Amino acid sequence: MSQAVPAPSAVDREPLDAVVDRWAAEFVESDDAERHLVEAALVCIARWGVRKTSLDDIAREAGVSRATAYRVFPGGKDRLVEVVFRHEAGRFLRAVEDELRAAGTLDELMVTGITAVLRLAADHPVLGAVIEHEPELVLPHFAFHQLDRVLAVAEAVCWPHLGRFLPPHEVAPAADLLARVVLTHAFRPAAWVDANDPASVRRLVDTYLLPALTPSTIPATATPAQETSTP
Amino acid sequence: MRAAEAVPDDASPTRCRIVDAAYACIARDGIGAATVEGIAREAGVARATVYRTFPGGRDELVSAAVTQAVIDFFAGLRADIGEVDDVTTLLERGLVAARRRLDRHEVLQRALQDEADQIVPRLATVMPTVVDLLRADLAERLARERLRPGVDVAEAADLLARLSLSLIGSPGRWDMDDPDAVRRLVRGRLLAGVLDT
Repeated sequence: MSQAVPAPSAVDREPLDAVVDRWAAEFVESDDAERHLVEAALVCIARWGVRKTSLDDIAREAGVSRATAYRVFPGGKDRLVEVVFRHEAGRFLRAVEDELRAAGTLDELMVTGITAVLRLAADHPVLGAVIEHEPELVLPHFAFHQLDRVLAVAEAVCWPHLGRFLPPHEVAPAADLLARVVLTHAFRPAAWVDANDPASVRRLVDTYLLPALTPSTIPATATPAQETSTP
Repeated sequence: MRAAEAVPDDASPTRCRIVDAAYACIARDGIGAATVEGIAREAGVARATVYRTFPGGRDELVSAAVTQAVIDFFAGLRADIGEVDDVTTLLERGLVAARRRLDRHEVLQRALQDEADQIVPRLATVMPTVVDLLRADLAERLARERLRPGVDVAEAADLLARLSLSLIGSPGRWDMDDPDAVRRLVRGRLLAGVLDT
């Protein structure tokens, strides 16, 4: 599916595109009991935040006994939060996959992808709430050296899609810059980039990003409609 | 050395002395070990004075020290970069100098290593102010350049400020020590959609 397998990160042994595929698969294949608890966890966290939510709260919300909750998640709350994250990431990737595959041009692809992630950050009941009320839980995972890991995952996710439009050696730099653009706007929205206004995202893409992804030494392979003056 | 434009309104000598002392304690023993008592002693003031100046207590004081360190960092960075009229040179010099300064900042590196949960959220609180300052610097120079059609100075300055901070904090795959690589990044990508060459 991907053009080439990215080098495994220092932390994970398996290639990251396999990790990401696994998240999506886990979401689809998770059994009812686990998925039910994950949904209940999302409700509780949206209501009280991660810190104040306990496994007991989640069990109560799910309408199951404590014993059941601990049996499905013997690792306790921390393990559950990790699973919740992966489920949601998997769910998101599944949802966006088809849209991204349907993009006929590079700029359509970028508009679709950027809009999807920004909408997720703004509208997801848990993610948005955690970013706003418990940023100290999220931010350290994206700052300084920790961002490297995020960028590696972003690259793995982008490969199959950007690879349709860009030469192989341009995919990783493109994914890197796109991930940075998306992250900064997800954490701190800008007035002029509005995920609910496709024209504003298109403007960001066409004016500022497309030229950055296709450096002038390489002919633009972007949209047939775009006038390019590159030699 | 203090950046004149970013000093808080109530910059009394006492407040400055206490903040400096807080930073000295943090530099020596880390954030976790810093106490109001220890900071008061370091500053040579009474504990009551510290609490009067910082009603929020230790937490407020530590945050003030972090903020001051950020202000000092960017003041030093301005000195490194020197006088620059055009946006291309500003970005090229800025990225290289900032990365070098960050790498050599022992207190920050140790805090990131040992106390990330203490330092990162505090830095995040002060970052919007940094973005504002960067954006203003960039906008001033962009306004003097020939821009591609459709480019808006405020938008371009905002995007470039955000990307610059991201790259400085987490260079990732971009080699900030290689001037050619930095030039390709700045001219070939960051400014590719902005400047009319």
